[in-house]
Amino acid sequence: MIKRLSLFIAALLCSISLFAQTGEWGGVKGTVVNRAGRTPIADAALTISQNGETVAQATTDAEGKFLVEGLPNGMYDMAIKVPGYVDAHVNVTVEGYVKDMIFLGMVAVQQVNDVDASSFAEFDMDDSGYSDTPTILFGSSDVYSNVAGYGFSSVRFRNRGYNSETQDVYLSGVRMNDAMTGYTPYSLWSGLNEAMRSKETTMGVEASDYGIGGFNGVTNIHGNPASVRPGWRFSVLSNSALYRLRLMATYASGELDNGWSYAFNVSARLGGNDWVKGVYYRSFAYYAGVEKKFGNVHRLSLVTFATPGQRGAQNASTQEVYDLMGDNMYNSNWGYQNGKVRNARVRKTFEPVTILKYTATPSDNLEASATVLWRTGKNGYTALDWYDAADPRPDYYRNLPSYFYMDDEDYDRQNYTKYAWAKEMWTDRSGEYDNYQHLNWDRLYNVNYNSAGGRSKYALEERRVDQNDINVAANVKWRASDWFTLTGGLSYKWNRTEYYKQINDLLGGQYYLNIDQFAERDFAASEALIQNDLDYWMNNGKTAEKIYTKGKYGYDYYANVQKADIWANGTFKIAGFSGSLALSAGYDTFCREGMMRKGLFAGVDQVGNPYYINMANGMVEALAQPKEGYKLITTYDSNGKAITSKGKSEVSEFFTYSAKLGLAYSFTGGHRLSANAGYFNDAPTFNQAFVSPRTRNTLVPNLTTQKTLSADLNYQYNNNGYSVRVTGFYTNIMDQTDVMSFYDDSQNSFTNFAMNGIDQRHMGIEIGAQVPLPVKGLSISGVLSFGEYIYTSTPFMTQTVDNSAEIIFDNQPVAYWKSHPVYKREQLADGSTVIAMDLDGNPVVEKQQKHYVPSTPQLAAALELNYRTSSYWFFELSGQYFGNSYLDMNPLYRTDMAVSGPDGIASPVEIEYMAAQEKFDPVFLLNASVGKSWFIHRKYNFGFSLEVKNILNNRNVKTGGYEQTRLIDSAGKDRYYRFDPKYFYMQGANYMLNLYFRF
Amino acid sequence: MKNIYIVLTAAMMLLASCKEFQPVFTGEYADPAPYEVVTMEPTHTIAELAAMYVIEKPWVIDEDIIIEGKVSTTDQPGNFYKSFYIQDETGGMEIKIGKNGLYNDYKPGQTVYVKCQGMSLGMYGWKKPGTYNGEPTGGCGMVQLGYEDPTEEYETSYLEIPLLIDKHVKRGVIGDEVQPVVITEADLPGREDTQEDNPYVGRLVTLKGLKYANETFTLLYLDSNKDKKASSNRIFLSDQTWGITTWAMSEAKMKEYLYSGIWDNCKLGNSGDQNYGTVGDRRVVDEVTGEVSYPDIEKAAYSVSQYFKMGSTEIQIRSSGYSKFADTEIDPAVLSGAKTIDVTGILTLYQGSIQFVVNNITDIIVND
Repeated sequence: MIKRLSLFIAALLCSISLFAQTGEWGGVKGTVVNRAGRTPIADAALTISQNGETVAQATTDAEGKFLVEGLPNGMYDMAIKVPGYVDAHVNVTVEGYVKDMIFLGMVAVQQVNDVDASSFAEFDMDDSGYSDTPTILFGSSDVYSNVAGYGFSSVRFRNRGYNSETQDVYLSGVRMNDAMTGYTPYSLWSGLNEAMRSKETTMGVEASDYGIGGFNGVTNIHGNPASVRPGWRFSVLSNSALYRLRLMATYASGELDNGWSYAFNVSARLGGNDWVKGVYYRSFAYYAGVEKKFGNVHRLSLVTFATPGQRGAQNASTQEVYDLMGDNMYNSNWGYQNGKVRNARVRKTFEPVTILKYTATPSDNLEASATVLWRTGKNGYTALDWYDAADPRPDYYRNLPSYFYMDDEDYDRQNYTKYAWAKEMWTDRSGEYDNYQHLNWDRLYNVNYNSAGGRSKYALEERRVDQNDINVAANVKWRASDWFTLTGGLSYKWNRTEYYKQINDLLGGQYYLNIDQFAERDFAASEALIQNDLDYWMNNGKTAEKIYTKGKYGYDYYANVQKADIWANGTFKIAGFSGSLALSAGYDTFCREGMMRKGLFAGVDQVGNPYYINMANGMVEALAQPKEGYKLITTYDSNGKAITSKGKSEVSEFFTYSAKLGLAYSFTGGHRLSANAGYFNDAPTFNQAFVSPRTRNTLVPNLTTQKTLSADLNYQYNNNGYSVRVTGFYTNIMDQTDVMSFYDDSQNSFTNFAMNGIDQRHMGIEIGAQVPLPVKGLSISGVLSFGEYIYTSTPFMTQTVDNSAEIIFDNQPVAYWKSHPVYKREQLADGSTVIAMDLDGNPVVEKQQKHYVPSTPQLAAALELNYRTSSYWFFELSGQYFGNSYLDMNPLYRTDMAVSGPDGIASPVEIEYMAAQEKFDPVFLLNASVGKSWFIHRKYNFGFSLEVKNILNNRNVKTGGYEQTRLIDSAGKDRYYRFDPKYFYMQGANYMLNLYFRF
Repeated sequence: MKNIYIVLTAAMMLLASCKEFQPVFTGEYADPAPYEVVTMEPTHTIAELAAMYVIEKPWVIDEDIIIEGKVSTTDQPGNFYKSFYIQDETGGMEIKIGKNGLYNDYKPGQTVYVKCQGMSLGMYGWKKPGTYNGEPTGGCGMVQLGYEDPTEEYETSYLEIPLLIDKHVKRGVIGDEVQPVVITEADLPGREDTQEDNPYVGRLVTLKGLKYANETFTLLYLDSNKDKKASSNRIFLSDQTWGITTWAMSEAKMKEYLYSGIWDNCKLGNSGDQNYGTVGDRRVVDEVTGEVSYPDIEKAAYSVSQYFKMGSTEIQIRSSGYSKFADTEIDPAVLSGAKTIDVTGILTLYQGSIQFVVNNITDIIVND
């Protein structure tokens, strides 16, 4: 079969070349220039190839000009290589004459932007219910993406306001978005910049060759050895914002004559930074790949990589704490242990990925590939856990001055002396009070030393999310004719992920006990109910399990996820007209499988019998019928279904589909007009589907697919060094679900808000423009992103607590989620203002204040001045402005309950106070960079780049945060006050210096 | 080549000496040293300190006074909360710390020194002595050490701030747990006694042969978010047992009692102002499901005083609804009067009455 196939392919190739030879002859000419500033590039190496075979080679002259003649008519690939620039490929069609390509713009390798995309400070959002995964734009040919992609990452800009999970990231043709959360998984390959540099991107609703994608672009990282830039490369990078030192070495063979190529890339990222104490990196990364080309048709590659290591996380605090510490970068996660900084929150990962890819190009018009990708390993996150002991966090609200005194008497906090003492404790900088201002490890150890029987009261837990993820993807690209190309594919994902906690460090104690702390307070009477592992307790003579280092405890469950997709995309190009239609259909399914039976959610046994406590001896038994002296402990949901922690949940199934349409017309003179539209019906992710996944199998009510309608309209102009894009976009997202888990210290547990029916509308414009200036080598770029991203529905919320069967809110509306009324004020004769009343005595609503999609500037603008010399110096100066950024909202504060207060009456003042959303101050930032490359004998390349960000040292830039989940009663018990929100701030002035050597 | 290694090693050592590189090179952290054991010379005994208190005059201590005592209570079972008692030979005193899980930091039997200067000495539970229905009422509460309370709701408040706690309360040697003293009815304090007058006040003592007095006291609220002092917000389960057979009641147990209807005849309001109907008036039965509820009454854990007699003296054994033994049933033979109990706990006074607080349920022994 294979023999016959190859014979057929050979015949096909022959006929193509025969066809080519019967036609006329032609050529190609043009000028290679630096795209920024249009400086001609001399000595650029051009290689023209067809079917993988080199047909012609050329170099540009001093003015950057080249000419290649004597080519048979046909399609060619022209590769342009210039040291210091990104390799470029151009498709050339020879049609009987010497085609003038005019300018071929090369993009300089952005040596500055060398801290890779995933290197964001790890913000400790685990207990806050929010995610913190910024979206990152790639794309070297688009001015907007170039400027916004890396340049806006410091303010955690999300393009078009979309969440990270909307951005599709492919690796070797396999969609890599996390199966549990949908998040972009950059951390899997962070530190492997060189191996993962080669990528293709689409923007917005545009379809791609790897999958039809969603509405926030598709990035495909090639990741195969042949795509890694050949040669050796060593670099040393130092930066002051994240980690001090990065060492990296890369080698790629390029494609050898025998068809083999291989590559490796290793790196170490080490150290702390200037701004946040306790944040550090001890991260390593490796990549190794080998690829073999068999003849002209087959290609097989095997790649494996991972980023083993750990890094300390940063925590958010309230403004009060930042002010007391005189530092908006204060991090409450660390303390001194024997004089050394120790961070309690450390991310520890080792998740190797292995990729086997087969590619076949049986003809110039047909390319097919099949990839198998396996991701496995462990992902841990340490945190303090404590049992029946005081809250160890230094910035616990009861340790703060505001807990003792507030100016507003309605807070009922009037102990000024204690306020002064608490302030003293926080503001003394002598070092004497370090153990109050930071974690007090000495105390935690001493409590454990003195604990009866060696039982640890404080311990470091490690929350583990260990994935096993197998993907199979097959893609075909068929250029059916000159004007029509069809791509399509199939993909299948199988994922089984274990979520559990284990003991990381007993902190001087001997063991930890596997029981539920808060449950103990509420269910003191029944020992069975407080067990995290009821089965163990029953099988071991009513004793709770003692947990030692590395022992699992607390919760243990699997997520089982499967996804299958089929898709096709047809594109046509007739004269200036092009268009595409893409369709996909899929099937998603998931379920939870609990491994521990929690006393509170005992559920039923194998034959469906509920559990009872024998009141005589406290033992738990499953019984078919109620019995005298036995008390039922199994609880039921409103549908009469037993709430259960162990065993498999019901299986959720979703049919998904999407459709995309794109149309474009290219005018002469470099103008292009295009429009894209898409409709998407996506399944919710596993982490949005369960009301309290750590403890029970209960699904979020009304779980349904998320529907999105998105469209954009684009105008582009590329000519004479000018590059402009203007885009208008409109996106409507409907029926989203979201589950937020907050650590609630009043309950000593996680409280979960499961929301459904969240709708959002994103609309706005994007502008990117690059303009060459009269001075040679100088250009100016400007970008603008201006939008309105708002909530448009009243979602419903179910609130649960991990350690209680009680449903606090049972699918109740979050009345003030999308907006809140602002009331009209009237001025009285004495100059004071009151709320205006209508004739019926009701307050007059002036307007409905919209609530915005948070954690990204909705207005972002930048102006960049770029100067490059022909001797490889470059200088960049950029000014950035960000505005209209909002704080994440806690749904609790937008409920009728919170707005009404203890008296149940919602007054205008309460509504305006409680439901309001905080808007951050706008920001102006100034950044600059400089760099130079030296080439020695055109063989060795040495260079450096230095970037200084936030030159104005603005230390008051909020990049995000969250609202707490607690309410304060007023003195008059007639209203609630909020707890202060917690914020993350951007670093002040910081540098990045990169030195590299290539040969 | 050798030079390169030397340079590399030097570079690594330089990095390792850098503070920010500590966590990079520190895989394991050495265990911190145990606390240093403090020893101090006390200036006053507990009784001497208590003697400095003047009724209704909380005193912010402006003298350099140090007292020494052994920790006699534990908040582990939850019957003591946010404070502990220390005692010497002359008496015991509550130190109002204001943190949870204190038994982790101050072990029962541990010697503790209190540097009193700056703290506040006050009384909890004072009521002007008088008579009601011919019976004496009112009297002393307990002299306590805490911090000043500018709201004047109480005479002392909790220290609360870690810095304040550590400034005033010093950990000494961890010794054997305090052994209770067995006392007789004659040793019991009078209504207006404090630690100054009676050496057993505030100390861990054992009372023997207590007989059930068929009376409980529990104060329920309709809504604890509203004014707790308003008569209309209060329900007193007092003067009889009200069917309460447990030492206290968790929220679950409270609901069980309430829904059973045994409190339906109890009137709402302070004695002398019982004009708000009865508990039963608040009973709601769902027409469809037949489910019983009392939406107006706050479901919560409540403390209970169970009344006993030692000879002719009334002893209230008061236990918290948040304690782990709250829902423990009292032996029916004790309730019927067939058996007596021996109890070990802290002897306290509240408005002149003896309130006895046990550390744990194991401190209550039923006699055969």
